[in-house]
Amino acid sequence: MAKNPNKIREGNIAFDVLFYALAVFFAFITLYPMYYVLILSLSNPNAAASMRVFWWPKGFFLDGYKNIVTDRNLWLSYRNSIFYAGACCVFMLITCSMCAYPLTSRALRGRKYLTFFLLIPMYFNGGIIPSFLMIQKLGLYNTPWAVILPGSVSIWYIILFRSFFRTIGESLREAAMIDGANHYRVFFNLFMPNSKAILAVIALYTIIGQWNSWFQALIYLPDTYWQPLQLYLRRLLILQNASLESVMNLSAEALEEMAKEQLSNNQLKYTVIFISTLPMLVAYPFFQKYFVKGVMLGSLKE
Amino acid sequence: MKKQAVPAAGPVTSGSKEIKIYSRRTRVVRENLELWSFIIPAAALIILFNYAPMYGIIIAFQNYFPGSDFFSERTVWVGLKHFIDFAKSEYFTRVVGNSITLSLLNLMFGFWLPIIFALILNEIRNLKFKKFVQTASYLPYFISNVVVAGMAISFCQPTGLVNIILEVFGIQAKSWLDIPDKFPMIYTIINVWKSFGFNSVLYFSTISAIDPSLYESARIDGGNRWHQCWHITLPGLKSIIAIQFILALGGILNANSDLIILIYNPATYETADVIGSYTYREGITNGKYSYTTAVGLFMSAIGFTLTFIANKVSNWLTGFGLW
Repeated sequence: MAKNPNKIREGNIAFDVLFYALAVFFAFITLYPMYYVLILSLSNPNAAASMRVFWWPKGFFLDGYKNIVTDRNLWLSYRNSIFYAGACCVFMLITCSMCAYPLTSRALRGRKYLTFFLLIPMYFNGGIIPSFLMIQKLGLYNTPWAVILPGSVSIWYIILFRSFFRTIGESLREAAMIDGANHYRVFFNLFMPNSKAILAVIALYTIIGQWNSWFQALIYLPDTYWQPLQLYLRRLLILQNASLESVMNLSAEALEEMAKEQLSNNQLKYTVIFISTLPMLVAYPFFQKYFVKGVMLGSLKE
Repeated sequence: MKKQAVPAAGPVTSGSKEIKIYSRRTRVVRENLELWSFIIPAAALIILFNYAPMYGIIIAFQNYFPGSDFFSERTVWVGLKHFIDFAKSEYFTRVVGNSITLSLLNLMFGFWLPIIFALILNEIRNLKFKKFVQTASYLPYFISNVVVAGMAISFCQPTGLVNIILEVFGIQAKSWLDIPDKFPMIYTIINVWKSFGFNSVLYFSTISAIDPSLYESARIDGGNRWHQCWHITLPGLKSIIAIQFILALGGILNANSDLIILIYNPATYETADVIGSYTYREGITNGKYSYTTAVGLFMSAIGFTLTFIANKVSNWLTGFGLW
């Protein structure tokens, strides 16, 4: 029985087949919708309209892509999204790591109050309107700062940093302090170089979170010039979609006509979806392991 | 002060600066000033964007007009009027009911699927294949809600993928997202699709932390796969499942309004409208500042109480909690 170490779990072959089939099913369910978007965006519009494109693109048709990449607003919003994600990432790393550092020092007085200060906003907030009024009062409304500044601190990330810093250890810090280093030096020369793992995790969380967020921008940035990619997508994918109630009482021919129009419209949408998700899909295999790491860190309990 | 007899280790060197001797008290004060200065950037942002809006809650008790001050002689104080208005309106039962229904549906399907998924993958022996399925399952979590909503909307159209598939079963093509009865189901499917893989990460890691010698001894005792799963893996997951479940119950009022605002439309408001989407529409779109602030405060007070109780229960039963 113990001859083959890989053959750990004995059992009949039927179970094996069942489990593999289920696993394939799960993978299919997650990947197919995205694959479908890709093949429809590439197919010949007529083939797409015949609604018989399932497994591979029929024909090869890049006009959708040509139409979209010449849209100035797409690139403008792309630039905005990159800018917001980058700025938030830099600020987030600075504010959160710095705030977490003193929390791990024994010398800190008044830690109780600080913890309390950080704990309250995790469970209570002013709500959407008071936050909106605050942004207006600060004069940030319709400026990029309305998205960047609130996205530059997260109490949750402060806690993640603190958990990580604890693993670096007090003794190392004390040794450095005895040697005459102050806390700034300990932080920048000792803690930061040893925290690359957590810095990478938080940077990725922040970038992805900011890249995917749209609600704040919807409220605070009425001017399309500053709007991020997600709002551009929302305009194209969701708002263009008039309610279809009126369709229900149409004749068969009119319905068919409408269906065709909708399909070419859909094809454009699929193209946009693919273009906007591409950076994520390309980067995904590289960053996904950091996310798993982040979940592990987040589940650390005291 | 000790002489610097020991050479400093690592990147931190003491330099040749003369070290002054301070009293203990001065040293403590100096060190704390240094430490507290680290907190300034984060604290400034937290005060501005977390605490200051809490002060703005005061407008829930007045008739606030855009541009006026919170306190002035023209301020009209109305006490609990807005709270009572909301509690009496038909929207109260609708948005609370919808929030609970949608969260319960999500819990019913979205809660068990990650566990079952983790258990199934645990039985897969081909590591490369296992890794592939696992990685694929997290992917939807990182796709933005806007894109997912856009995909859902076009799939649910009369010419969309959903109708093409349903045609095989002889079901007539419909615009599914315009049918109020179907909204809870579609929302649940999207939500579960987006998050089941990522939610399973916690279970994967817990399973991998189970002592392998337990399985070894089970096999020696003649336990088959099913026995091992039932008597070792599941008990190993017991406490983490309990925590997750209790905390999910605590968040029962927090339906995913970020997604709902994207996929609902006036035709489906009756089954789709939740607290977050209602406050957004009334507050930002219709400009009812005071009323929405009251609604938000009311709901977050209930939500906080639920989370608090859930956490207490979790601490009491399992010894783990949020804080």
